[in-house]
Amino acid sequence: MAGRLSRWLVFAGVAAIPLLLVVAPIGTFLAISMFRAEKHIMNYTPTVANYAEFFGNWTYFGTYLGTILLCFQVMALSILIGYPMAWFIWRQKGSRRYYLLLLAVVPLFMSYIVKLYTLRSMLGLNGLISQMLIGIGILEKPSQIFLFNQRAVLITMAVIYMPFVILPIFLALERIPRSLLQASFDLGASGWDTFRRIVLPLSLPGTIAGALFTFVLALGDFITPQMVGGTTGFTIGRVIYSQFGLAYNWPFGAAMAAVLFLTALAGIVLAGIAMSRQKI
Amino acid sequence: MALELNEVSKRYGATTVLQPLSLEVANGEFLTLLGPSGSGKTTVLRLIGGFTAPSGGRIIFDGDDITAMPANRRPFNTVFQDYALFPHMTVAQNAGYGPLVQRRNGPEARKLVDETLEIVGLSALRDRYPSQLSGGQKQRVALARAIVCEPKLILLDEPLAALDASLRRQMQVFLKQIQRRIETTFVFVTHDQDEAITMSDRIVVMSQGRIEQVGTPKDLYYRPQTRFVAGFFGDNNLIEGVVAASGDRVETRLGNFPLAAPAAGGCKVLMGVRPEAMRIGEGAIAIPADVEEVMFGGAMTRVLLHAVAAPATKFDVRLAGDGRGQALAAGDRVCVSFDPADAVIVAD
Amino acid sequence: MRSTGERIAEFAAGTLTAIVFIILYAPLIIGVLFSVVQIRQGRILWETFSVSPYVTLWSNQSVLSALSNTAIVALASVVIASVLAILLALYTEWEGAIGRRFIELVIYLPFLLPPIVTGLSLLVSSAQLGINRGLLTIVVGHTVFVLAVAYRLVLTRLQALPKSLVEASFDLGAGRWQTLRYVLMPHLASAVMTGAVLALTLSFDETLISTFVAGDQMTLPLRLWAMMRVGFTPEINALVTLVLLVSIAFALIAAWRLRPKGEVEED
Repeated sequence: MAGRLSRWLVFAGVAAIPLLLVVAPIGTFLAISMFRAEKHIMNYTPTVANYAEFFGNWTYFGTYLGTILLCFQVMALSILIGYPMAWFIWRQKGSRRYYLLLLAVVPLFMSYIVKLYTLRSMLGLNGLISQMLIGIGILEKPSQIFLFNQRAVLITMAVIYMPFVILPIFLALERIPRSLLQASFDLGASGWDTFRRIVLPLSLPGTIAGALFTFVLALGDFITPQMVGGTTGFTIGRVIYSQFGLAYNWPFGAAMAAVLFLTALAGIVLAGIAMSRQKI
Repeated sequence: MALELNEVSKRYGATTVLQPLSLEVANGEFLTLLGPSGSGKTTVLRLIGGFTAPSGGRIIFDGDDITAMPANRRPFNTVFQDYALFPHMTVAQNAGYGPLVQRRNGPEARKLVDETLEIVGLSALRDRYPSQLSGGQKQRVALARAIVCEPKLILLDEPLAALDASLRRQMQVFLKQIQRRIETTFVFVTHDQDEAITMSDRIVVMSQGRIEQVGTPKDLYYRPQTRFVAGFFGDNNLIEGVVAASGDRVETRLGNFPLAAPAAGGCKVLMGVRPEAMRIGEGAIAIPADVEEVMFGGAMTRVLLHAVAAPATKFDVRLAGDGRGQALAAGDRVCVSFDPADAVIVAD
Repeated sequence: MRSTGERIAEFAAGTLTAIVFIILYAPLIIGVLFSVVQIRQGRILWETFSVSPYVTLWSNQSVLSALSNTAIVALASVVIASVLAILLALYTEWEGAIGRRFIELVIYLPFLLPPIVTGLSLLVSSAQLGINRGLLTIVVGHTVFVLAVAYRLVLTRLQALPKSLVEASFDLGAGRWQTLRYVLMPHLASAVMTGAVLALTLSFDETLISTFVAGDQMTLPLRLWAMMRVGFTPEINALVTLVLLVSIAFALIAAWRLRPKGEVEED
């Protein structure tokens, strides 16, 4: 067995990499959030003024709360649609199951920007949805109602993040041994009973993981709101991004990002607790 | 007859896993389906349980045709090979699952669960989760869950396969005791002939999707009817031969041996002699043989030999204790002998 | 053996699945069509068929430089991440490891956190260190992002290896490096390759982190985004089509490498 000192030396050598690349940058931006930028000149006196500004100004804090609400909506919509899909794919057999899963997962690899672009063109003024509704006679002329509002952001996010929900739920379902379902059936349970009492509780960890993914992705996304939300689709991600661009107030942006970081961390911890409470 | 399989068969596409077979199971009996893997024994169990639909034939229970009845309606419960305990439920919740989904709530259902846990000796562990139990305890939970609804038939799919040898022997006794106590029919699947012999009222020996022989453990042990059964039980020494025209002798490459009971002349037969019925030394029938291996096994000593006249014919002889002072060693030339009355004759 | 209720549920879920697949894929197909033909009022005008957008693309200097940047970044970050993944997985599986859980958490963090946090933390820290934003910072950003995936795959494979394999190698007199070279690496190679394909795909598409750390350098997704903000052209559709084809090719390679092996069919 290696000695104490050499173990610590190896630890220092190996751990230095992720510490340097991940922990140090996060620490730096958290530190920056405690300073002030005054007319583009940094004032290195520690202060909580950035946080005070964020929580005190409804423009920012309201946007933050609105974003949280949007995240929960995206999460709920994704689970509501993704769970039945994962369940359906899981119920299929053999190669059909594999190909359906592939269809569900391949979008995960497709460029985010490309998906956004094509979805936007579908929702847009001369997009597929408008054209179709005109075709059936519901709409008279091309409409903009599907684009540049919060609803568009919600739908687009739910669609884009769908594979992140389907995959973990499917994997959780697949881990349920067949014999458990047979045992439930054998003991006289109906299909609904088996689903409610066996399948659903056992697939909960995967569902929580999927929910967490969508929540965190929606929380920090600043491109989707801009592309399909227009001027009304303001999220905290967009506000932060603007502080590093046009507004050019890094410390304030960093403070808001710190709140975002803690929110995401809280989500991860909560999901972790919820998953470990499952007795599996 | 409680349960009757009538010309039941099973095919998957072009492969037949079960030839049409008929079988009757009496009320309250402990019936074992015994065979090597791929013999179709588990398929029979799944057909009875309702997890698979037969390709042909009918399944009748108490006079009713239940062939098309789904598993959740059949009054049978199964103990699965991997126990199939619900990991997110406690022992008591697992045991109470049947009454729960059958909407039998209330105090009497709770009492039933308590009683059942008492029977299997798990009352103290009722609030544990399956992950906190040992293999034997999991086995008991699976059994409790299956018997709590008082099914007419309990199906057990190799339930002891995952346990170690000493625990397996304990559980064999335990299962037998439970069966006597609740007076329910058990249909038990195993590939272990010792387990089958010690536990069963009747054994169905299966091979390659067919029934080889049905009978009591003693029937199968002392009167096997096929080469497969003779070879499957207890390391029989088999000698190939033909019944002489006179019908009172078997002619083999090792010599002519008298028959205890007359048989039809000209039949190809196998003469089977149990290892414990063979001796080393002169006797009524004596065959010269060379010792290959002597293995001391505690209560008995196992001697492996081959016939001098036909080295491909092997003998397995068990001598009590350390061999009663017979100092044998590999390479010794001796005689193996047996009493014709101890030999079974199986049509080949 | 299914009840009517289950059949209805399955039909409903199947319909939902079909609708979502249409919503996911129809726009992509239309995007691809738009790159070669014009569509008016839901009708495809085949006579307008032309591959000229692709030709224009080929002569678009900014797109070509974005493409080469993307290739450089993807290759560099994947190679670095793979090496780090092997090193870190070997460490966390080593019995003398200290702070195993902590290191794992840090590795997974950039994958779990919103990319905006990873992006701006790298931006702020590189600015503090006086490093100019450019290809180097993009490579760092992509490396920490894809490291989680590469690490996970290597670790899973390493955990599946019987401990006795390494012990046998030591027993036969092999040193640490020989064991790594002749025993561990051949077993890890395919997991590293699969991780590399996945990482390559992720890096190829990464947008949110890149936005922060790119400076005046452009990767392909950033270039696309910039083009989209300006307006609609057939050229964008052509580029979208090419990006899609590359992504799908990567995805299929990854799926093929991760496909279930020897699946047992049961009724």
